[in-house]
Amino acid sequence: MAEVTWITAGGERITAEVGDGVNLMEAAVANRVPGIVGECGGGMMCATCHVYVESDHRTGEPGPIEADLLDFADAPRRDGSRLSCQISARPELDGITVEVPPAW
Amino acid sequence: MAVVDQRPTAARCPVTSGFRPFDHDGTYEFFSMARREAPVFYNEETDYWVVTKREDVLSVFKDPERFSASNVLDSLEGYPEELTRFLTDNGFTVEPVQSNTDRPRHTRIRQSAGQFLNPRRYREYEPRIRALVREYVNGLRGKDEADIVAELTHEMPARVVFMLLGVDDVDPLMIKRWALNRATMIWGKPTRQEMIDAGHELNDFFHFCKEIVEDRKWAPRDDYPSKLLELRGGDDSVLTENEIVCLVFALLLAGHEAVTNGLTISILTLLENRGTWEELVADPALIPRAIEEVLRHSTPVMTWRRRALEDVELSGVTIPAGGKVLLSLASANHDEGQYERPSDFDIHRPDARGHLSFGYGIHVCMGAPLARIEMKIVLEELINAFPGMELVKGQRPAWTKTMAHRGPQSLLVRLGGSDHG
Ligand code: HEM
Ligand code: FES
Repeated sequence: MAEVTWITAGGERITAEVGDGVNLMEAAVANRVPGIVGECGGGMMCATCHVYVESDHRTGEPGPIEADLLDFADAPRRDGSRLSCQISARPELDGITVEVPPAW
Repeated sequence: MAVVDQRPTAARCPVTSGFRPFDHDGTYEFFSMARREAPVFYNEETDYWVVTKREDVLSVFKDPERFSASNVLDSLEGYPEELTRFLTDNGFTVEPVQSNTDRPRHTRIRQSAGQFLNPRRYREYEPRIRALVREYVNGLRGKDEADIVAELTHEMPARVVFMLLGVDDVDPLMIKRWALNRATMIWGKPTRQEMIDAGHELNDFFHFCKEIVEDRKWAPRDDYPSKLLELRGGDDSVLTENEIVCLVFALLLAGHEAVTNGLTISILTLLENRGTWEELVADPALIPRAIEEVLRHSTPVMTWRRRALEDVELSGVTIPAGGKVLLSLASANHDEGQYERPSDFDIHRPDARGHLSFGYGIHVCMGAPLARIEMKIVLEELINAFPGMELVKGQRPAWTKTMAHRGPQSLLVRLGGSDHG
């Protein structure tokens, strides 16, 4: 279980408890976080789950396929860019904040 | 909860009798009633369980364990025995490769296809797509009035597929005819003779794909079939040669009909909503938002299919094991539970992109990023060249009548000259 806070492009903060193993795209969609679509259901095809993770490196670095796709996300890739479908909640992530880029 | 067979009740219900799967007039009004009164209902005419609410459609897409995709390309009418025999006798070895396969086969094939059909590759084609679109737009210059379907949206997407396939010496209109035939065989209501004629052409089409693959075996190029052959590297456990031919065949069917309709519908919808057109003229950066809202508001692929592998309850209705399921993407995209005032066309809604027009999950459309690039380029170029474009008044274009694809077969516009540049 981890408490996760999304900061939307509009500045709204949405906080939710996310069960271990649930990925942050699914959790965002379940909590209706605007800007997270997750069109490919975590298949690493769409990049519509792009987020900026606070830069304390708890979530690790994107793998090669993920890194490739991040270059094609709608919002610019920057430090901390991740596909949130590739991050699973676990106790070490408790209290983490992720920023959602503007939808377009 | 008692398991009740819903069929007899459903047959008397106004919702069921109002469902006209092949005629898209009044479809949105019908579905709005269905979502209220019978969000999942059985339709006798087609023998399908129709699912109308976004949440239910999404839960089917998310559940490939219980909903098989094996019937996605089944012919609603079924092939006449004579045609099946003709196809078998003529080496028509089409087998399921993508949209109508289940795991693990689907995963294996999709992974290979995705090595080429991906956003990075598509991005590389952008300059060539823009050049192609400009060719068509230049052909329109100087005209007062034009049919935008005949002169742009019908043919252009087929030529983009040709780029991916490395084909440059084929008449795009032949591909359009083949694909439309195929769509009618699958989702339409052809007569027996129409079905047989279409089947003969389909066989030519398949052999055309075979020739492309055969050619790339000896003379590889930088294209989709060559990439698939390279990945195969002679290993049937990666992809068989017949699977590669089927992937080429599938791309020639999947890759342009929906784009044609998406483009025509975009132009129609934007010109009907003049204020939005003017907004895009003033700020073309809004085009991607407009595209998502068109896809939501006026869905080009209206329905998609699955088959239940076990009894599944959705919105209180039990779909029995083996039941054929028709997902109304158009209805899901107008669900009041997700969208405020769903029938309004509003490019500023925050959540348009959550539409299900490209499906969802493991089968989500592999061409979605390409379709978005094509739509964006066409709208940018048209708006730049003909900011004063208008619909010709009083026209009533015929619409394609299949259960899936939907789009006007012609669209007359006045180009209104005044060039930007
Ligand atoms: C506006 C245009 C388009 C629309 C509305 C559209 C719609 C769809 C839909 C609804 C599906 C089913 C998804 C699911 O079952 O979850 C699909 C699948 C597919 N589409 Fe598209 N499509 C479009 C353009 C394209 C293009 C341009 C290509 C190819 C370059 C393409 C290739 C495919 C393929 C290969 C699949 C099967 C994927 C799989 O089963 O794994 N589509 N499309
Ligand atoms: S949900 Fe599509 S890449 Fe993450």
